[in-house]
Amino acid sequence: MNTQNHDGFMLLYRTDEWYNKLSQEELQELINQNKAWFERLTAHGKAKPGRALERTGVTVSGKNGRFVTDGPFAESKEAVGGYLVLDVETIEEAIAIAQSSPGLAYGGSIEVRPVAEECPLDVRARELAREEHCVTI
Amino acid sequence: MNTQNQNGYMLLFRGNDWLKSLSSEEKQKVTDQWMAWFRRLTDEGKAIAGNPLERESKIVSGKNRVVSDGPFAESKEAIGGYFLLDVASFDDAVVIAQECPGLQYGVQVEVRPVAAECPVASELKHQTQFANA
Repeated sequence: MNTQNHDGFMLLYRTDEWYNKLSQEELQELINQNKAWFERLTAHGKAKPGRALERTGVTVSGKNGRFVTDGPFAESKEAVGGYLVLDVETIEEAIAIAQSSPGLAYGGSIEVRPVAEECPLDVRARELAREEHCVTI
Repeated sequence: MNTQNQNGYMLLFRGNDWLKSLSSEEKQKVTDQWMAWFRRLTDEGKAIAGNPLERESKIVSGKNRVVSDGPFAESKEAIGGYFLLDVASFDDAVVIAQECPGLQYGVQVEVRPVAAECPVASELKHQTQFANA
């Protein structure tokens, strides 16, 4: 894997609603930890504001989007609960930041993905065009 | 479902393996369509961010913070990119999702309302209200 990336990394939080099981004290403690964690990252210029997603929504699929189906986004451990974009240059640093996320203590997982400089479709189309060019000359 | 949301909506594009079956002309066509679609939404003030993601993926999980390779680079569930939409209703967001040029090739678009705050904070508020009731 290319470990350098100038376009940053995206952390995708994949969890069910585990926080429903925490007590008020645990929730407060985790909120404080999260806040301190995120403030430290932004103070060092390493994170841009992230977003949390509601546990509702639909999936659109099929030609012209004719199928619109509900979740599940609440019970599934694979469901995306939110994201954060990191302005760091290596995947090692992005992984280390993911590992320091306070919420992991309660389970769930974080997917670490390099942001693409351009759409992979463009890249692939160019590769194919180049291959065809090589064949024709 | 609450159909109004001031915080906008996120479209998650799922599926990474659909490209393989296309010819280079088809790939070029769908790429151009996708870019034109995003530009139009941006010009209309309906899309405020969007990024494709590289296929590489690592997963950090659990208390022990174990790092593993993302298993889903080729899967239908893999997220290939996202748009962040600034539209006020869920119906508007679904209509935009239905315009996705990848749909006819098997791409699935997940439409999710963006939350006003961290769900951990809303859970605490919920519990506090309940305790005081």
